[in-house]
Amino acid sequence: MSPLWRDEVAIYLAPRKLALARRLKGLKPRIGASTEIVVPDGGADPAATLQRLADVLREPAWQQAAARVVVSDAWVRFGIVPAVPARLDADAREAHARCVLADTYGEMLREWRIALEEAPPGRAAVVCAMPGALRAQIETALAPASLQLRSIQPQLAVAFNAWRGRLPADDAWFVKLEEGWLSAVHLAHGGWDRVHTARLSRDAGLDLERMQAFGRLGADGRMFIEAPAWMRERYGRMNTNLEWLEADGGDPGPTHEISLLLRAQG
Amino acid sequence: MSRTRALLVDFADPPRRASGAGVLLCCVGLAAVIAMAASFERSAAERARLDGQIETLSSRHRPAQEDPLRAKQQAEVAKMDRELDIPWTRLLAELESASTDMSSKVSLLQVEPDADKHTVRITAEVRSLPDGLAYLERLQQSKVLRYPLLESHEHLKDDPEHAVRIKLVAEWQG
Repeated sequence: MSPLWRDEVAIYLAPRKLALARRLKGLKPRIGASTEIVVPDGGADPAATLQRLADVLREPAWQQAAARVVVSDAWVRFGIVPAVPARLDADAREAHARCVLADTYGEMLREWRIALEEAPPGRAAVVCAMPGALRAQIETALAPASLQLRSIQPQLAVAFNAWRGRLPADDAWFVKLEEGWLSAVHLAHGGWDRVHTARLSRDAGLDLERMQAFGRLGADGRMFIEAPAWMRERYGRMNTNLEWLEADGGDPGPTHEISLLLRAQG
Repeated sequence: MSRTRALLVDFADPPRRASGAGVLLCCVGLAAVIAMAASFERSAAERARLDGQIETLSSRHRPAQEDPLRAKQQAEVAKMDRELDIPWTRLLAELESASTDMSSKVSLLQVEPDADKHTVRITAEVRSLPDGLAYLERLQQSKVLRYPLLESHEHLKDDPEHAVRIKLVAEWQG
């Protein structure tokens, strides 16, 4: 089959969750198979999730396709690289981005891989770091299934791209919730100018109240929340001032995270 | 109104190697270009061959065009022939004889033959107009000249003897 028409397998990897969906290509692409698996022994170390992924990929339904992988924000770190007046080559830009990450997270990210946004001249750029071993482990898991790795993106970037059409370009917060994890992005001039990530406490309602107070520090305090359906139902009633993002026609994919990826791809 | 920019941060290496289908498609494209070029070359050669045939056929049915240089040379030769045909000896002898017959009352100033028209223009001075008319009558009796005519006459006021300048024209007989 032509690579242009090759099926795609979307894979979401999180500390305690694994989701897959096979998208059958053609004139009218459609979801051919999907699954969502809880990883009870998963955690900060992605090994358990990746082992479960390798097990799932033994099934023929997930083999012989291109693969798009979305990685939970719990396993990545973000930073904002300010614009510099000088014109930098790729190596200098990466060195600058690593300095920014080191300022924020210390030397722990020294061996991590980074992905740097190609921002327009004069604009700050988003940098994302991921453990170097994670990339290798993902490739190791995909290889036996003949899955060709096409992309590895952080969940926050995928969610932002899925909802960016509904977000104002200036002075607003985009907050993404997932189980046990919160990521918040402040928007200015159509791009990110601040990004924060944090673990959610056991009392997520308290965290939301804190976020609301945090949002009021902005000029208009608008705060857009992206969350799975169960979190929207649980916390949506508690905070009426927050703007919960919901798809008009419901999620197009089998799981919330896969739906975000499909919508971000257009 | 500004809009939010899409964010692209991807840890996967951008695809660098050409896929098999891409290489195949490129080869097909190149082959098509080569085939098209060869076809164009053949068509151009065929057209040149047909143009040559048309030119050949046209030249057979076209009247021969005169070479301008050759025509000019021929005209100059013809003109030279006509000038050589002027009977200078007989003409000058006849005019001299006529002047002698007029007892030197005629002074011959200029003789201008026109080979194309076969005429000769004679300019002379006489003491009076009757002398000029007598000279004309004398030339009318000549066997060398035909149809002598008085073209004009002019009294020379500056001349102390008030001579008359006459201009005659006549054809010569070849």
